[in-house]
Amino acid sequence: MPATDVYAAIADPTRRRILDLLATAARSVTDLAAPFQMSRPAVSQHLRVLREAGLVSEHRAGRQRIYQLEPAGLREVDLWLRSYQRFWQTKFAALGDYLEATDEQD
Amino acid sequence: MSRTDSAIRTETLYRHPPHRVWRALTDSDALATWLMPNDFVPELGHRFTFRTQPVPPYFDGVVHCEVTELEPPKTLAYTWCGMPGMNTVVRWELTEIDDGTLLVCTHSGFDLTEESHLKTFRSMSGGWGGRKMVAALDRVLTELAV
Repeated sequence: MPATDVYAAIADPTRRRILDLLATAARSVTDLAAPFQMSRPAVSQHLRVLREAGLVSEHRAGRQRIYQLEPAGLREVDLWLRSYQRFWQTKFAALGDYLEATDEQD
Repeated sequence: MSRTDSAIRTETLYRHPPHRVWRALTDSDALATWLMPNDFVPELGHRFTFRTQPVPPYFDGVVHCEVTELEPPKTLAYTWCGMPGMNTVVRWELTEIDDGTLLVCTHSGFDLTEESHLKTFRSMSGGWGGRKMVAALDRVLTELAV
């Protein structure tokens, strides 16, 4: 289980924007710091939270650390949506049954 | 990534004309048969509830709604609040195709990243980041669906 929960990690707008950036390509801290006008240590702090939540992973490339998105970490958030997705799919089927059953009566 | 305001879209083509599908969507007794017991009235601004079995302590079994769009027999929308801080909208669109109806349901506004939602999730789940609540809700929605 991740050390930091996913909801807390993505509650922060800056971290959501970092995730958006990483969704297009893996990036270094320097790359990520540029659009935010933030210090590299501040960005590193956000990346640490995201890493602990299992949303990003890091690897070394020469002298740099490269961060990339770990989509599996978002699975937990998706669970809620998927519950409702199944709910509506089944209700659509129930509506179909209802329409068939009442066809003669209308 | 567009997880900040995710929507669920469900659609089916029924071989029944729009007026019949519309009736199934707007008649309280019909709704109770295929969706949930309710006190729905097809009136703009009408506040109503859907009721089902509660799942303590996460869900009291009541979904609070308010009709926000009503254009027979084409469009119906209502807010859908199943827990504090949940501000989702369910919107139905009916399109006549041949002698049938294409029914599209869009359930939008699942903003898990909003602060109020986060607080709700955490308070309801004792700091578990919503895992227990999501699991419980998943169970009840799956059971309901049967």
